[in-house]
Amino acid sequence: MTAAGATRSRRDIDASIGMVIFLATVTMLFAALLLAYAVLRTQAPAWPPAGAPPFPRAAAGGSSLVLLAASFALRRARRAGSSAWLRAGATLGVTFLALQVSLWRHLVAGQLGPGHGPLADVFFALSGFHALHVAGGLVAIAATGKRRLGLLVTYWDFVAAIWLIVYFAVCVL
Amino acid sequence: MRLGIPHDASLDGHFVDGAIGYLTITTGIAFAVLVVVLLVSLVLYRARAGRPHGTYMHGDRLGDRTLTMAIGLTLFLAVDVTLAVRASTNLRERFWRYPDDDPNALRVEVSARQWSWTFRTAGPDGRFATADDVVTLNELHVPTSRPIYFKLRSKDVVHSLYLPSFRTKIDAIPGSTTRLWIQAQEPGRYEIGCAQHCGVSHYKMRGWLIAAPDAEYNGWLARAEIDSRLRYETRDPTVPQADKVWDDGWDWETGL
Amino acid sequence: MTAPATPTGPVEGGDSASGKRASGDDGQPIQAIHAAPTGVLRRYVFSVDHKVIGRQFLFLGLIFLAVGGVMAMLIRWQLASPGRPVPVVGRLLFGGSGGVISPAAYTSLFTMHGTIMIFFAVTPILIGGFGNFCVPLLIGARDMAFPRLNMLSFWTMAASTATLTASFFVPLGSAQAGWTAYATLSTAIGAPGTGQTLWTVAVYLNGASSVMGAVNYITSVVRLRAPGMNYMRMPLTVWGFFLTSMLNALFVPVLGAAMVLLFFDRVFGTQFFVAGSTIRGGGDPILYQHLFWLFGHPEVYILILPAWGIVGDLLSFFARKPAFGYRVTVASLIAVVVLSCVVYGHHMFTTGMSPLLGESFMLLTMVISVPTALLFLNWLGTLWRGAARMTTPMLYCVGLVFTFGIGGLTGLWLADVVADMYLHDTFFVVGHFHLIMAAALLLATFAAVHFWFPKMFGRMMSERLGKLHFWPTFISLNLVFIGQMLIGYAGMQRRLYDPSAYDFLRHLLPWNKHISQAAYVLGAFQLVFVWNFFYSMKRGKPAPANPWQVGTLEWTVASPPPHHNFDHIPVVVRGPHELGHPAAIARGKDWLAQDEVIE
Repeated sequence: MTAAGATRSRRDIDASIGMVIFLATVTMLFAALLLAYAVLRTQAPAWPPAGAPPFPRAAAGGSSLVLLAASFALRRARRAGSSAWLRAGATLGVTFLALQVSLWRHLVAGQLGPGHGPLADVFFALSGFHALHVAGGLVAIAATGKRRLGLLVTYWDFVAAIWLIVYFAVCVL
Repeated sequence: MRLGIPHDASLDGHFVDGAIGYLTITTGIAFAVLVVVLLVSLVLYRARAGRPHGTYMHGDRLGDRTLTMAIGLTLFLAVDVTLAVRASTNLRERFWRYPDDDPNALRVEVSARQWSWTFRTAGPDGRFATADDVVTLNELHVPTSRPIYFKLRSKDVVHSLYLPSFRTKIDAIPGSTTRLWIQAQEPGRYEIGCAQHCGVSHYKMRGWLIAAPDAEYNGWLARAEIDSRLRYETRDPTVPQADKVWDDGWDWETGL
Repeated sequence: MTAPATPTGPVEGGDSASGKRASGDDGQPIQAIHAAPTGVLRRYVFSVDHKVIGRQFLFLGLIFLAVGGVMAMLIRWQLASPGRPVPVVGRLLFGGSGGVISPAAYTSLFTMHGTIMIFFAVTPILIGGFGNFCVPLLIGARDMAFPRLNMLSFWTMAASTATLTASFFVPLGSAQAGWTAYATLSTAIGAPGTGQTLWTVAVYLNGASSVMGAVNYITSVVRLRAPGMNYMRMPLTVWGFFLTSMLNALFVPVLGAAMVLLFFDRVFGTQFFVAGSTIRGGGDPILYQHLFWLFGHPEVYILILPAWGIVGDLLSFFARKPAFGYRVTVASLIAVVVLSCVVYGHHMFTTGMSPLLGESFMLLTMVISVPTALLFLNWLGTLWRGAARMTTPMLYCVGLVFTFGIGGLTGLWLADVVADMYLHDTFFVVGHFHLIMAAALLLATFAAVHFWFPKMFGRMMSERLGKLHFWPTFISLNLVFIGQMLIGYAGMQRRLYDPSAYDFLRHLLPWNKHISQAAYVLGAFQLVFVWNFFYSMKRGKPAPANPWQVGTLEWTVASPPPHHNFDHIPVVVRGPHELGHPAAIARGKDWLAQDEVIE
C-alpha cells in the first residue's frame, strides 16, 4: 500500500464520519418540520382540510422515480468511476427540481399554494426545503466531481430517503 | 429604598410566597456554604513558602465519590424533592383544580389584544353572548370570597394576564383558550399587567382588578348591567353584533 | 525533523529511529504537514488554519460583544431615566425623537441585545474562537478534520452578521419581537416589515455556521486525537467543546426549522404559527414556542459547556492539583447534555400546558441540578488542599464559581412551577439568566483570553491591568444582576419601556437607577480589558512556550505555534492535570506534560 493511498483512506474515513454527523443535523431539521406537520394535522378539525381542492397525490409522487434514478446513476458512477454516469445523475437531479417547480406552479394555480390551508402549507415548506437540499447536492457534484463519489452517493441516497419519507407522511398517510 | 413586594390579597398566593421563602432559605444556605468553602480553600491552600505544590490526589477514590454523591443527593432531597412534592400537591389541589362545577364561581371571559384587556361576565341570565352581558375595558370588578374563573383568548399576539397581588399569571394565546382561577380575600384595587412582550405598547397594557364585598359588588353589578344593556340597545344596527370583541363565536362550555 | 512538504504534502516523514512515531495506533500515517500559506488573502482572510480562523471568530465576537454591551447601556439608561435624552450619542442614534429612546427603539434594543449577545458574541468568542484555536492544539493535531469547512463556517457567520446589520437599515427598522421572537408577534401580524424577516435569515445562517463547526469539532475529536490520548486523558476544555458540538449538531437544526417555518409564514403566507379558521384548521403559536425552546434550552448548555470545561482545567492548573473527580465531572457533563433535551418546557409553564407535562418538566429540570451540583463539588474539591496561584485567570475562574453558584441555584426557583407562576417574565428571570449567560460566561471568556493570549499572540497580558479589570467587573456584575433579581421579586416584568406606567412599580425607580449605575461602571471598566488586550498584543512581555507551567499539549509548542502546530505528533502518556506528581517534584518542578516520558 503506497503512502499516498494510505493517507487517502484515513481522510476518507474522516469525511464519512463528517458526512454522517452532517446528515444527522439535516435529519433533525426535517424531523422538526415533520413534528410541525404532525401538530398541525392533529389539531386540524378534519384532514385533508375542509374547503380545499383535492390534493394531486399521484402527480406529486411521480418525481420520486426521478430522484431514485439519480441515486442509481450516482451509484453506477461510483462503481465505474465514470463521468458519464455522474453527468446522468446530475441531469436527473436537475430534472427532479424542474418537476418540483412545475408541480408547485400547478398547485398555486389550483388554489393549493402556500396560505391555502395546512396541507398546502406543509407540502410547500417540506418540499421546498427538500428541493434546496437537492440543489445543494448538485452544487456538491459540481464542486467535487469524481473525487468524492462515496460521499455523493451517501448524500443523494439520503436526499431520496428524505423525499420518500416526506411524500409518504404528507401525501399517503 | 423599599423593595415593596405587592401585597398578597389572594386565597392561594401564600403557597407561592411559601415556596419562595423555602427556596430563599435552602439555596441561601447552600450558597453560603459554597462561598465559605471557596474562601477558606483559597486562604488556607494558597501557594506560599510553606506550600510549594498542591496535594497530588485525583478525587476518584471510592470515599471521594461517595462524599460528593452524598452531598448531591442530600441537596436533591432537601431542596428539589421537597419543592417538587409541595408544588405538585399545590398544583393538583389548588391552582390546577378549576371550579368547573362550583356554582359559586364567577366566570369571566378575558379578551386580550394590543394593548388592552376586555372582560365579560354573563349577566343575570347566566349565559354568555347575550344582550345582558357586562363588558368592561381594563377594569374588572369581582366579589371577594368567591372563586373567579377566567378563560382567556387573544385577538392578535400572545399576551399574559398578570395579577401581582395574586402571585399569578396566565398567557392569552391567539387561537387557543387558557384558564386561570383566583379568589380575592380582601377588598381593594389591585393592578393588572401584561407579562408577555406584545409590541411597542406592552408597557402600557394594564388595568385594575377591584374586589369588593358582596353588597358593594352587587351594587356595582346592577349599575353595570343597566349600562351594558343601554349600550347594547343603542348599538349601530348596521354592525352585526353589539361588541365585535367576541365575534369568534366563543362558547364558554366548549372553549376548553 | 521533517522538512516542510509540498502543498499536497506527503505523509509526515518517518522518523522512527528517533522514537517519534509517524503512524497512529491504526498503522495509518498521521496528519501531513502542509506548507504555510503566503499572501495576505490566504494568510489572514481566507485562511484554513484553525488558529487564524479562531482569531477571526474571536475578533468578530469581541466587536459584537461591544455592540451588544452598548445596547445594554442604552437599555439601562431608559430604565433609569425614562424619557430623558441619551447623553452624548442620543442625537446621533435617536435623532428622530430628539435623542430620547422611543418605545419602538427600546423594543429593538432589547431584541438585538439578546440576539447579538447569544449568537454574535458568546457563540463566536467561545465556540468559534477558543474552540477553533484550542481543540486541535489540545488533542495534539495539526488542524481540524475539515479545514476548508472551518473557513466556510467563519464566512457563513460573517454573512449572518451582514444580514443582521442590514436589518437595522430597512423601513420599519430591525426585529422587535425579542430575541425569542414568539409568534404571532414575530409573524406578519405583529411585525410587518423586512427587519424581522432579515432577522430570521441571519439567525438561520448563524445556525448553519454553528452546525458546520459542530461537524468539524466532533470529527476532529473522534479522529485526530494524538496517540495515547484516550477520552479520559482529554483536557476538560476539549470535553466542553466536544459535548457542546453534539448539542449544536442536534438542536440548532430545530431552531433552523423554526426559522424556516417563520420565514414561510412571513414571506409566503403560510400559517404554521398563525391560528387558522375553525373549519379549515391552521397553525398554533405555541408550536413556535415548542420548537424554539427545544432548541433554546440546549442552547444555554451549548453556551456554558465550554466555560465549564475551561474552568475545570484552569482551576486545576492554578491550584496546582489534579482536577478532582475527573470521571465524575465528565459523567456529569454528559448527564447535563442528555437531560438538557427534556427540560425545555420550564420556559412555558404559563402557557396552560397539561398538568402532566408541567409536572414532568418541573421534575426533570430539578433533576438536572444534580449533575450541575456535582460539577461544583468537584471544583471545590480541586481547590481544597491545592496551592492556589491567584493569577488573573484564576481570579476570573473563582468569580465564575461564585456567580454561577447564585445563577444556578436561582434556576431552582424558576423550576418550581408554583414560584414560577409569579416570577415568570419578571426581572427575576433576567437576573437569573444574566448571572449565568453574562456574568459566568464573561468571566470564563476573560479567563480564556488571559490564559491563551500568550499562545495566540506570543505575549503576556498585564497581570496588574487584569486585576484592575477583574474586581470592578466582578463586583458590578453581581450588583447589576442580583439587583435585577430583587426587583423581579418585587414584581417588575421584563421588556417594559417605562415601568412607572404601573403604579405598583413606581417605587422601584431608585432601584433601577442604582442598577444602571452599577451597569455603567461595568461598561466603563471593560475599557481596561480592551486596553490590556490591544496594548499587550503590541507591547506585552514576550511569552515563553509554557508561561503557566502546565502539562496540556498546546504548551509544548512555541508561543505562537508554527503553522503546522507540532513538528512531531506527540505521544500522550498521562492525563492533563498531573500537577503535584511525585515524579515531577523529584525533578524540581510540580507538573508533568502530557507527553513527557519518565522512566
